[in-house]
Amino acid sequence: MVHRKKNRNVAVIGVGQTKHSSHREDVNQPEMVYEAVREALDDAGLTMNDIDCIVHGNMELFEMIHQPDLWHELGTGAFGKSSFRLSTGGTTGATLFCAADNLVASGMYDVVMAIGFEKLQEGNTTAGITNMADPLWHRHLQTGALTSTCAYDVIQEFGLDRAKRASMMYRIIMDKHACLNPKAHRQFGLEFDQLEYLMESSAKLIGELRIIHMCSQSDGACAVILASEEKAKRLSNKPVWVRDHITVHREESFNIMAYDKRYPLLTTHRAAAQELFKRNGISNPLEYFDVFEMYDPSSWWGLDWIREFFLLEGDEHLKLVENKEIMLDGKMPINPSGGVIATNPIGATALIRPAEAALQIRGDAGAHQVPKPVRHALASGFGGTMWTVLIMLEKELNW
Amino acid sequence: MSEQFGVKVEEIFNTMPERFRPEAAQGVDACFGYDITGRGKWKLTVRDGAMKIERTDDLSGCVAVTKADPDTFVGVNIGKVDGMQAFTTGKLSVDGDLSALGKTTKMFKRYVPPKKELSIREYVLDMFGTLEKRFQPKEAQGLDLVVAYDIGGPEGGQWTATIRNGACKVTEGLAAQPTLKLSLKAKDWVELMLGKVDALTLLSTGRAKFEGDLQVAMKLGQIFAKYTPPGEEAKEEQELLVLKKVISVDHRFATGPVMGRFLNGLKEKKILANRCPKCQRLQIPPREVCAECRVRATEFVEVGPKGNVRMLEYVYYASPDPLTGKTRETPYGVAYILLDGCKGHEVFSHYIRPDQLDRIELGWNEKKGSIVRPVWAEERTGSVHDILYFELDE
Amino acid sequence: MGRRVAICAVAQIRNEPDIWYKRFQGMLLECLEPILEKTGVTFDMDKGIRNIVTCSDDVFDARTISDNGMTDVVGAHYRGEEKIAQDGLNGLGYAMACILSGHDDVVLFMGHCKESQSESKRTCTNLAYDPFFLRPLGLDFLNVNALQARAYMAKSGVTDAHLADIVVRSRKNAARNPFARPNPMVSREEVMASPFLADPIRELHAWPVTDWAVGMLLCCEERAREFTDRPVWITGFGNCMDRYFVGDRDLASNFSLKQAAARAYAMAGIRDPKKEIDVFEFNDACAHQLPMIAEGVGLAEEGQGGKWLEAGGPDRYNVNLSGGMLNGNPIMLGGVARAVEAYLQLRGEAGERQVKGARRALAHGTTGGAGQHQTVLILEN
Repeated sequence: MVHRKKNRNVAVIGVGQTKHSSHREDVNQPEMVYEAVREALDDAGLTMNDIDCIVHGNMELFEMIHQPDLWHELGTGAFGKSSFRLSTGGTTGATLFCAADNLVASGMYDVVMAIGFEKLQEGNTTAGITNMADPLWHRHLQTGALTSTCAYDVIQEFGLDRAKRASMMYRIIMDKHACLNPKAHRQFGLEFDQLEYLMESSAKLIGELRIIHMCSQSDGACAVILASEEKAKRLSNKPVWVRDHITVHREESFNIMAYDKRYPLLTTHRAAAQELFKRNGISNPLEYFDVFEMYDPSSWWGLDWIREFFLLEGDEHLKLVENKEIMLDGKMPINPSGGVIATNPIGATALIRPAEAALQIRGDAGAHQVPKPVRHALASGFGGTMWTVLIMLEKELNW
Repeated sequence: MSEQFGVKVEEIFNTMPERFRPEAAQGVDACFGYDITGRGKWKLTVRDGAMKIERTDDLSGCVAVTKADPDTFVGVNIGKVDGMQAFTTGKLSVDGDLSALGKTTKMFKRYVPPKKELSIREYVLDMFGTLEKRFQPKEAQGLDLVVAYDIGGPEGGQWTATIRNGACKVTEGLAAQPTLKLSLKAKDWVELMLGKVDALTLLSTGRAKFEGDLQVAMKLGQIFAKYTPPGEEAKEEQELLVLKKVISVDHRFATGPVMGRFLNGLKEKKILANRCPKCQRLQIPPREVCAECRVRATEFVEVGPKGNVRMLEYVYYASPDPLTGKTRETPYGVAYILLDGCKGHEVFSHYIRPDQLDRIELGWNEKKGSIVRPVWAEERTGSVHDILYFELDE
Repeated sequence: MGRRVAICAVAQIRNEPDIWYKRFQGMLLECLEPILEKTGVTFDMDKGIRNIVTCSDDVFDARTISDNGMTDVVGAHYRGEEKIAQDGLNGLGYAMACILSGHDDVVLFMGHCKESQSESKRTCTNLAYDPFFLRPLGLDFLNVNALQARAYMAKSGVTDAHLADIVVRSRKNAARNPFARPNPMVSREEVMASPFLADPIRELHAWPVTDWAVGMLLCCEERAREFTDRPVWITGFGNCMDRYFVGDRDLASNFSLKQAAARAYAMAGIRDPKKEIDVFEFNDACAHQLPMIAEGVGLAEEGQGGKWLEAGGPDRYNVNLSGGMLNGNPIMLGGVARAVEAYLQLRGEAGERQVKGARRALAHGTTGGAGQHQTVLILEN
């Protein structure tokens, strides 16, 4: 469709997260959700009376709770409110954000709170993800989200040594960012001079995917409050505008593993980026955006997808990492929060991306704040059979 | 070479017998090795619900060997170092069967370093040193008193606590006209503070004397928070309850006509794909539609049985199969195989024969990977397991 | 509000006790193909469907990311897809928001559920309760409905005989609905002799195990006529969540339904549902809920459910001519089945069940035990 002007503009006016960790045994699920909701309300200076609608989501087969929003009303404050529940696998958090944006933009609700959470220690993460596979032929084969396919691909293209170094460099940079983020789950304190040691010593999970490359399994929740333009301007002095978002899914199968460049494949990451940037008139995303909160489930994927999201070619993306341009003070800061490798409460993870991007635009990210002024931010969600959700946030209503 | 945490590596191993929990060792029959750099090697043998730990250089026959430096090893064992973090960053490594090693974590109660007892003098000094900190203003509202403590003996001393306007100041020496004065020997004072003896007993036996208002004296236990020896966390935290449950719900999955036809084909040792009428691509296993063209793919085509391996997932990590609840045996290999008749990305995935994992060569662009063929089960039921695995076509 | 979204096409398969011979993919394909054919809509990125709203449940499907298995058949390859994980009627409200926001012109809605796949739908709904207190007590949606039934029947003078009549009527209506679950006719005596599942709910008072799939095409007002000559308009939507702990709720109070209805009425500009709405489709998972929902939406007076039944309320107000959820629709899609009937009535395509001159309809959906979450949709032609 010809891209329509939004019915009305929407802004992020409040953000809240729990301190993500591996074992929140001190709280049950609604209590944990409440922590994030409380923080978001305090951040926005609002009470539950100001919220019209709650959008809730997670991947319920991790905790094996049917319709968790019913129990969670104890912590979400949904009692007496309108509420929706959406769930789209790993992209859930981003979908919740997009859904909240749609709901406010539609005019049906003025203030909507999106809440994503997960308590991964209450289930078995890998088995839970394996459960997405078709029970009749694939479920006995799949090993959760673990795969060495990306590592293989990058190694074939760039050579074993360069590829391993680049992905480890990416990993260390992500950890350095995480160490500056008090909410992050895993903060190892890695140093660049450990690169070679880690490349060889960290235990292998599958092929060249080592445990150090892989995202964490966290317990945590995130809440983001979105409001209509009129209310946002009244209620907040630092609204962050939601410019556009796009969701691109792919067919049910992981049949992209034939490693034959004679049959080129379009990733959903690139397809989403192409469409989103085209319809918003952005010809050079690397120049345009000031920060990118990318959903990076492993440092191999994180490395590889820089090329896809910024529509780069050749080894431009490797150079960005090798030259440390993805650090906070670099040309394109990526994941100042530490990203998904540091923190991954799956139902919340994709919501944390736009939440952290919003904090960057506001200048409120504290120690992990990008030092240059942040006016244009990009955030992505990932899940399913290589699906992408891509979100654009702006400091000004200038488009 | 002193350990960071004041605990020797040897203590961890020497206390294993007394920390052992036989119920967690049922069904385990294996040896586990520990190689602590610069310190030595130990071998843990578990059999018939019993254990043996010995220091030895010979770790052969161990199903898993844990290697770490002394500080990391001790730190993980006493809970001061996160095990997962140590493992991920390579500070602690395991050679061998990770899941077997996992069973040992429940076999031993956590090592708790023995409490270091302070001397009487050290306790006395610490108790008065922390008196101001333990003062609780809420309990002392409206109170105006001076409490003198005369702690007798060479390990003792004299202190005065002045409580006024919701604040407390502790000074050395005895005030001239205290509201309340307590006199007792240092040893008794320490035992009283540690909760080993109660005030009434001391008073009744004359081991403690006081001058002043008894009611006020009774309040002291509330005005000052309970004393906890250094290094011990205040035991105020609630015990965290955790409920563990295995959830199992039986399901009967339909196969439908398309998947059903594929599975029936396997019964007859045929591997079937279906073809899209528009773009001609093959899908294996067959699916109702071609997702690209959004039309039904109704033509079935037999492919294979041989093919070349494009990619192999060499899985070291053991995870549960959600259909059975059982943890999968590792390493296992999942291959993406381009069967004869298929092109491009029309790959099929299945296991590779476990003992051939290391001999598989992967394809890349026009280069073909190892040629493999399916090995069929004797009894076939129309399941994907009718193919046991693929093996090298030799 | 005055802004509305069109339903341009609806397609469904028949509700059945056990669709063992098809997978979800096959079921959904049978709902998509007629929609594509009737409307000529394509998946073109500029002019066609580029966003799909699905509805399914991971626990009932035993599949994490249950929508992932459906991506192909709903046409979501390189398109957007968002899954509503509660009663699908909320999906229609959400699709409406996607369109009114300007984000999409055309949205495809597809839902599926097989209650027959798991060993017991009650085992599945038991998992909605917290692991520490309500779950070990054995609560599931059915026995919580029973607690509600007891409270409501006492409050509103509804008797076992009334419930039997509701069931008999439901079967009779369903017999005139070619897509309703094929059930035998029952007599009042049979119902009253039917064994208790959870007193006072008897086996015949509760919706039976059902498998179903459905699809709808929604579109913005400006382009609706590209796809149909006679769009049916969604003019009102509202939903609301009640408390979780069963003991914290007044189960017979219709708390969340009243809010949901009020929100939907406000959006649609309705002041008196009795006068302004011609057809009512209530999501009655259990028989006692029929008069209770009537009270909740303002069709019957508070506490007068029994009297309303005796005065012939259901027939008078064209309630559940489809047979209702009571005849058999799966959890997750009950509300959508209600919207489908409303749509057919407003298009004049309800066959033997047709209400002449129907102009406005109300469709209702529920999620959770004793309808903890309620949804109301208003449709007009």
